[in-house]
Amino acid sequence: MVVPGRRKSIAFFITLGAVLIAVIVLLYIGNVLLNWRTGVLLFLGILLLAMIIAGVVLNTIFLVREIRRNEQHDAFINAVTHELKTPVTSIRLYLQTLQTREVDERKRQEFYRIMLEDSDRLMSTIEQVLRTGRLGAVSRELNPSRIDLHAVVEESLSKARAIHHLEKESIRYQSHSPVTILGDPDEVQAAVSNLIDNAIKYSGHTVNVAVETATEGKFVTLRVQDQGFGIPKMELKQIFKRFYRVSGPNATRVKGTGLGLYIVRSVAKRHRGRVWAESEGPGRGSTFVLQLPLAP
Amino acid sequence: MIQVLVVEDEAHLAEGLRFNLEAEGYRVQVAETGEAAQSMLRESREFDVVVLDVMLPGKSGFDVMSEMRKAGQFIPTLMLTARGHPDDVLKGFAAGADDYLTKPFELPILIARIGSLLRRREWLRSDAVNQVSSSPPQEAAESLTFADKAVNFELLELKVREQVFPLTLMEANLLRYLIQHEGKAVSRKAMLEQVWGVHEDTDTRPIDNFIVRLRRYIEDDPTHPRHLVTVRGIGYRFVASPK
Repeated sequence: MVVPGRRKSIAFFITLGAVLIAVIVLLYIGNVLLNWRTGVLLFLGILLLAMIIAGVVLNTIFLVREIRRNEQHDAFINAVTHELKTPVTSIRLYLQTLQTREVDERKRQEFYRIMLEDSDRLMSTIEQVLRTGRLGAVSRELNPSRIDLHAVVEESLSKARAIHHLEKESIRYQSHSPVTILGDPDEVQAAVSNLIDNAIKYSGHTVNVAVETATEGKFVTLRVQDQGFGIPKMELKQIFKRFYRVSGPNATRVKGTGLGLYIVRSVAKRHRGRVWAESEGPGRGSTFVLQLPLAP
Repeated sequence: MIQVLVVEDEAHLAEGLRFNLEAEGYRVQVAETGEAAQSMLRESREFDVVVLDVMLPGKSGFDVMSEMRKAGQFIPTLMLTARGHPDDVLKGFAAGADDYLTKPFELPILIARIGSLLRRREWLRSDAVNQVSSSPPQEAAESLTFADKAVNFELLELKVREQVFPLTLMEANLLRYLIQHEGKAVSRKAMLEQVWGVHEDTDTRPIDNFIVRLRRYIEDDPTHPRHLVTVRGIGYRFVASPK
C-alpha cells in the first residue's frame, strides 16, 4: 500500500537535492569561467566536484530504493497479517456459532464446508511464505526427477476450479504433444498453480482463461492467458520482484501477498528456464509465459 | 426491528456474522465495499448500527468512517479489523468509530458490544424524550418481579435467586412484553409486531430461539417450562406464579 503523504515528502527532498546539485554545478561553472587560468588546480577541482556529485546521486538513489523496499515490506506484512487472520477469524466464528447456537443439519454442513475452505486458504498462505523462505536459501540443491508437465497442469487446473468454484469452460486447456521435463515436482507444481491462480484472481467477475503447452526446440512453453485487468507496460518486469503488487484500481482489490510471481521466477531460474509477462495494457488482459527446458 | 449493516468483503465472515446477528433477532444487510455501504446509508435511514471492516477493496474502512461522520451520519459504528496495532485502534477512534474490535474476535463479545451500542442509543433516545416532555420516567416499569425472579430493565439484568443473568436488549424487551400480558396467550406475530416492530410476514422462527434462551434463564427445568408455556398453534403464555 502506498502512503501518498510519504510519497509527497520524499518527492520534495529529492527535488531539493537535485536543485542544490544544479546550483553547485552552476556556481562552479561560473567560478571556472572567472578563474580559467589556474590550470592543474582547476582540473583537480572539477574531478573532485564530479566525484562529490556522483556520491550524492548514488546516495539518493540508494535511499529511494531503501524507502521503496521498506514500503513494500510494510505492505507485505499487512497483506500477510490479513491473509492469515481472516481465515482464522472465520473458522473461529463458525466454531463458536456451532458451539453456542442451535444449527440445523443443512446449515451445519455448510459451515463445515466453509471452515474447510478457510483452512485451505490458510494453508496456501503458509505454504507460499515457507516456499519463499526455502527458495531464498541458495544453498539448497535442486533434486530433479522426470515430470509429466501435462499431469501437473491438469492437477493445478482441477484444484483451481474447485477452489474458485469455476465451470470447466472458464479455463480451457490445450496441449500439443507429450511433455517431459526435469525438475522438482513440488516446485514446478507451485509455479504452475501460481500462474493459474493469478489468471483467475486478476480476471474480475468473468473468468476466461486459456492455458496452452507447446514445445519449441529444446524448451516447453506454458502460456496462461487471461482477459482480465491487464498490466501497465512499466510494470511488466517489476511484478516478478518479491512483495511487488501491481497498481491500478481493479488490481489493488485482489488479495495476495506479493510472493506468487516471485516464486514462479525463482522456480524458473532454478530449472534453467525463464518466465515473462505480456500485456497490451490495463483492461486488456495479460499472458504469462513459463519456459522450461525439456528433459533430454 | 433493529437493522444492522455489516460492511465486510470476505464472504465467509459476512455470512457468519449475518447468521449470528439474525439469530439475535436483528435484520442484517451486507455491503461488500465501502462505496456500497455509503450509498446504502444515504438511501436508508433505517440502520441502527454498523459493523465496519477496515481492509476493504477500494475505499478503506477508516475513510468510510470519517466520511460518514462528516456527512452527519452518527449511527453507532463498531470497527472490525485484522490490524490490532495501537496506532490503528487510535486511527479508528479518531475517524469516528464508537468501538473497535480486532480479528480474530470472540463471538459473544462482538454480540455484547453491538448490544451495548444499541443500548446506549436507546438510553440517549429515552433521555431526550424525558427532557422534552419532562414527564416522569417512561410508563414502562423499570423492574418487575415474579416468583423468586427479578428483572431490571434498566440494567438489563435478570436475577434468579442469587444468580444474575445479563440480558440483551431484545431479550429484555420480549420478556417485558410477555410479563405485561401475563396469563394471556400471545401469538408469534404479535410479538414480532410489538417487540420487533415488524409488520411483514417474515419468518417467526427467531422468536422460538429467544424463548429457548429465556427459558434457560427463568425455568428451573427448561425442558418442562412452567413460566413460559407453549400454546399450541398460537404462541406462548407467560405465567407469573405457576401452581
